[in-house]
Amino acid sequence: MWTKVRFWTLAPSRLLMGLLFAAPLCIVAAYSLLTRGAYGGQSPPWTFESYARLLDPLYAAILFRSLWIAALSTALCLLLGFPLALFISRSAKRKNLYLQLVMLPFWTSFLVRTYAWMFLLRDTGLINTILQSLGLIREPLPLLYNEWAVVVGLVYGYLPFMVLPLFATLERIDPNLLEAAADLGARDTDTLFRIIVPLAMPGIVAGCVLVFIPCLGAYLTPDLLGGGKSMMAGNLVQNQFTNARDWPFGSAASLTLMAMVMLALAWLARRQKGDLL
Amino acid sequence: MKRRHLLAAFASLAACRRSLKPRLNVFNWSDYAARDTVPAFERRHGVELRYAVYESNEEMLAKVFSGNSGWDIVFPASSLIGPMRENGLLSPIDRSQLPNLANLDPRFRHPPWDPQLEWCVPYMWGASGILYTRKLNPPPRRWADLWDPRLGGRITMLDDPPDAIGAALKKLGFPLNSTNPAELDAARAELLKQKPLVRAYLNAEARDQVVSGDLLAAQMWATTARQAMDAAPHLAFAYPEEGFSLYADCAVVLKESRRHELAHRFMNYLLEPETAAAVVTECLTATANAAAQRLLPPSLRDDPVLYPSPEVMNRGEWLQALPPAAQRLRDRIWTIVKSS
Repeated sequence: MWTKVRFWTLAPSRLLMGLLFAAPLCIVAAYSLLTRGAYGGQSPPWTFESYARLLDPLYAAILFRSLWIAALSTALCLLLGFPLALFISRSAKRKNLYLQLVMLPFWTSFLVRTYAWMFLLRDTGLINTILQSLGLIREPLPLLYNEWAVVVGLVYGYLPFMVLPLFATLERIDPNLLEAAADLGARDTDTLFRIIVPLAMPGIVAGCVLVFIPCLGAYLTPDLLGGGKSMMAGNLVQNQFTNARDWPFGSAASLTLMAMVMLALAWLARRQKGDLL
Repeated sequence: MKRRHLLAAFASLAACRRSLKPRLNVFNWSDYAARDTVPAFERRHGVELRYAVYESNEEMLAKVFSGNSGWDIVFPASSLIGPMRENGLLSPIDRSQLPNLANLDPRFRHPPWDPQLEWCVPYMWGASGILYTRKLNPPPRRWADLWDPRLGGRITMLDDPPDAIGAALKKLGFPLNSTNPAELDAARAELLKQKPLVRAYLNAEARDQVVSGDLLAAQMWATTARQAMDAAPHLAFAYPEEGFSLYADCAVVLKESRRHELAHRFMNYLLEPETAAAVVTECLTATANAAAQRLLPPSLRDDPVLYPSPEVMNRGEWLQALPPAAQRLRDRIWTIVKSS
């Protein structure tokens, strides 16, 4: 009886996943094995050529840059997000207000917010204008169009994805444990690193995964804040689908990236004994 | 009785949704129609027009390649006419339904990409060059000036492989549409040499930053540059001495369209001198229509940025569709330049 109920209640989500997730993925997989037409499009013969082309060291360099920028952004998100999440979880009355404020940026489009950063960072932008009028600098600082601008944009964009899972685990920590630690003479740093951080580990891992994966595939931020000067994996895929009109190669590149992320997640899940997310 | 009411209500609803007026679907570049271009056509012919705009050829192609995009007329760049025809996406033009073709500038009556105008109707055209601020002394005259260290960090190049690679090729004295690996390799080296001086690879976004003074010079399309100069008189535009790229955006009827007669009526309407002149006056673009150009106020008609002199035009070269091997090599070069 219950198995029947289970079957029918799960059916809609299964159908949705099948139609909106599995089917497009199969199409991408099929495209990646086809040959590019003379002027775009894709057609038989079937071939692994697109995958073979990915072995070019040029693309490995792009992948390593993406991994480095994504890792750096994730680390900064953790560094900024952990104290924030701890603070929110310990604030009694205003908890909901603070959480709302963390979510507030999602009320406008990511594209618009990224453009707003451009207006902050450019030569005649807010930051340079203020610094110049205070007499702190004479020439404007080159804040926009470099890798640091990309990292700033990614940290800004994905910080909420770090804060929310951290908050969820930190809030569940029993305050009695912290009291007990204090009673037994633990210093604050001991309490933090030997009680709070280990207990918050599932949230830390979840937050890092949620930030790292979209950073790895980012293409808008490197384009707008990086000025297209430091191509990341997302830009490579996007460029194949637009300028180069090479859909098979773009499909192969995006599937390879996805496979690598999934392998890394599987490895992480095994280390965490299946306790991931 | 009740049920009949319901049926009647449904029937009238259905009638509302599908108006009996014939409908034409037109997908065009932004800035390519005046405010009244579409409504005037609708009024005159009692038809309905679904009009939407796009910002890049790729955006349009991605939709049209499916073969059932729902559009009747689109406006690809001249270099795409051949490829789209070969992919079976285009329906031939019936010249007998386009008496206004006679208004076209002679240069566009037998263009290299479609010598008999069997597949497309040239609409607007453009070129690439250098938009710069008049503070620069001496002003840039050649692509080579964008390699000048004194502009270091204050210039942008177009984020568009044919134009960016094209500028490097022209600087070296090679053809814009080169497919020669040795020439392309030399262009790659030029672009890598230039990269430390380039603030960013940007398209139309560079316009605001030249206006605001963040940038001293930018590789830019002439019509985009003309729009910027309209907002900021301290700007100027140069057609580089080594030569530059030319493109034309042309109206085509898609194979999937089932409204050929109406589509031709619309294209003939766009070819009317008054229609095209109104678009140019409002959007500051360069029309392929000689009769329309004569209707323009002298300040626009003789504008050296929108309509350069024949000597300048002689240095221009039409962008062409390239064979797959050359496209792939150019894509690799572009990836190297942008990721190094």
